[in-house]
Amino acid sequence: MKFKINRDHFSNGLAQVLNVVGSKATMPILSNVLIEAEKDGITLTTTNLDLGIRVKVKAEVKETGAVTLPVKRLAGIVRELPQIDVSFDSAPNHQVKLNSGGSVFRIMGIGKEEFPPLPDFSDDKIFSLEQAELISMLRSVAYAQSSDETRYILNGVYFNFRDGKLSLVATDGRRLALIAKELEVPAEKAGSIILPAKTVSELLRMLDKGEKLKISFNDRRAAFQINADNPDTGLVDSIYLYSKVVEGNYPNYQQVIPKETHQRIKLERELFNECVHRAALVCSDKSNSVKLKVSNNLLEISASSPDFGEAHESMAIAYSGPDLQVAFNPQFLVDPLRALTKDEIYFELKDEVSPGVIKTLENFVCVVMPVRIN
Amino acid sequence: MPATTTIVHLDADAFFVSCELASKPELRGTKCAVGGRERGIISSASYEARACGVYTPMPTTRALRVCPDLILLPHTTGLYGIISRKMFALCETLTPLVQRNSIDEGYLDLGPCGYSDDVQLEVAVRGLQRRIWDELGIPVSMGIARNKLVSQIASKLRKPRGFVVVPSGTETAFLAPLDIGKLPGIGAKTEAALKERGLAFISDIAKRPEDDLASIFGRDWRSVVSSARGEDDRPVEVDHDDAKSYSQQETFAADIADPAEIERIAKGMIDELMPQIRTDGKRARTMTVKVRYGDFSQESAGRSLAEASDLEMPFYPLVAPLLRKAWTRRSALRLVSVRFSGIEEPARQLDLFSIENEADTKRRKLASVLDLLNRTASGAKVKYGHQIRRGTDGHE
Repeated sequence: MKFKINRDHFSNGLAQVLNVVGSKATMPILSNVLIEAEKDGITLTTTNLDLGIRVKVKAEVKETGAVTLPVKRLAGIVRELPQIDVSFDSAPNHQVKLNSGGSVFRIMGIGKEEFPPLPDFSDDKIFSLEQAELISMLRSVAYAQSSDETRYILNGVYFNFRDGKLSLVATDGRRLALIAKELEVPAEKAGSIILPAKTVSELLRMLDKGEKLKISFNDRRAAFQINADNPDTGLVDSIYLYSKVVEGNYPNYQQVIPKETHQRIKLERELFNECVHRAALVCSDKSNSVKLKVSNNLLEISASSPDFGEAHESMAIAYSGPDLQVAFNPQFLVDPLRALTKDEIYFELKDEVSPGVIKTLENFVCVVMPVRIN
Repeated sequence: MPATTTIVHLDADAFFVSCELASKPELRGTKCAVGGRERGIISSASYEARACGVYTPMPTTRALRVCPDLILLPHTTGLYGIISRKMFALCETLTPLVQRNSIDEGYLDLGPCGYSDDVQLEVAVRGLQRRIWDELGIPVSMGIARNKLVSQIASKLRKPRGFVVVPSGTETAFLAPLDIGKLPGIGAKTEAALKERGLAFISDIAKRPEDDLASIFGRDWRSVVSSARGEDDRPVEVDHDDAKSYSQQETFAADIADPAEIERIAKGMIDELMPQIRTDGKRARTMTVKVRYGDFSQESAGRSLAEASDLEMPFYPLVAPLLRKAWTRRSALRLVSVRFSGIEEPARQLDLFSIENEADTKRRKLASVLDLLNRTASGAKVKYGHQIRRGTDGHE
């Protein structure tokens, strides 16, 4: 196998597939990237068996073939090569010679035969989405995923294609974020998956490379074809991302979203975010809550920790309902406020033990359970 | 001139014994001690018993050998804590700046109390000493000085019922003739070693050149020198009343080798400690189980819950695995203890999916009823099933 490639294109391609490889791969081959040269480009593939990524990079192929190399070391070397032109030459014994200007590297590889194949993009259930839209939807909910391994069902984002819409949901059992968009869903294609947290973070990193993406899924796995054609980056066609899904039943999230609105407060998102964030500066691990006190046209936010001190913030609001007092984990308020982009949001409250609901007019809901102070 | 010696160290004399004698005055003047019978240890001995060679901590069996007519008083659970709180409450009638070091010892800072001179202050402290005796029947020793270090040495100087004042400016002279072992941080072993090197009295320190001291005391030699001069600038720290941990331990009458029995005892400790945690309105996150073998060597293992709890239920499943982890040697145990730490405020993050919430709410309700029952009905205790011992007749 022999090809010539632009150093920066090669480096870009490797950067796309690098994250999948963990620091402690169970099999040596899983630390490697599979490099395959075809007629006018090369493909780079990595996998950890749960998650795999494949990209295509523009290259001048003189001789087709395949080899695998340790991806972390290779990416480090390619990044630092002295000249933009790089030639890559692999011998039948899997030894690779890398030439750039006056630099020559010889790297020992492993044959392609040992590399576990990436399952193909199936035609189970396929939907087409805008990349920019999916990225904004994922950002609106991803923070609410649980990192508690004992609640593995919640260690991901739930994708629900049903009833003429796509809903994305994430929850850690204490707060829940939901965003939906209208989407044509034929009855036979309706279905849902829980996409693991690691895949979600890879997707967030990868999206925004082009316009469209396609998702296909069944009960056990999901695959994404992300349009990435770009002469500047050297990536061609699309990035292919394959992932196992979290298997199990996602909790019935509809039942925890309050059906009735009790007191609704319109808030300036940025201002509210700043006040909560500032008040929370006095919080500690032991007393990690901010108290919200709502009275006639006034929202007071306070926090205290016994061994440090206290903070008080006040905001003018339009409110004429009954006085209310409720405490929340400040992070649970700040997370959705930061992820949203609208200037105005609605905050719905009932009492000190009922959930608070942060809403926008665009199909976004974040339900936050309070902290009960005895 | 306002008072200059304003730091008071209060040290109760033979505290546990004094607490017992307060309700049994007929035993005053006898050789008595508080301690566990059979395999326990002496935790407090009257001065009469000390004269016979009883000291603390000393195995009870040995104490009875050196002093066969020793009157042994059992521990009264809860009594010492109550009297201690009353004693410190009396201290707080003098100044809010009270630092409790332990159940029977603490510092008072009378600086901000506006005594016009040292004499006035001394009168007030004598009044406190008398009040603690009159109202609680507890003899205490007092040391008054310019700082914590000197006041502490002073209070221990003439026990029991000591009252030693070290006027400002006389600290070095006061310390000079005392044994070097009176200084904090110098234990019996170090004291013996220092004596061999010619340092018997605190005054000996000042006579030595700096190089000498550095080689004797190592890196900390400067702090030893300032201690010898009676210098100390640590403030009296008013501590929070909050408990940092809750623990209980039991020494068995005979070593126990049966894991099921040890587990039952450990679970019983959870049942004893959790009501206390609930009464204080706290929650615990970490449980540590300690085991002690017949030869006094010990091991422990701990684990934390994902979330702190004030219920027994989440901790039960930890008992068996922790015991397996701690109890590595194949020999019987003389003691087991359970300790709860990671104590948190009662603020509780509520859960969205209420199924487990409801179960917890019900358990909490049940717990509060049980707590109430167990507090009021004397003798009649409501226990969990695991506390019923499977005896020969199938009943406890």
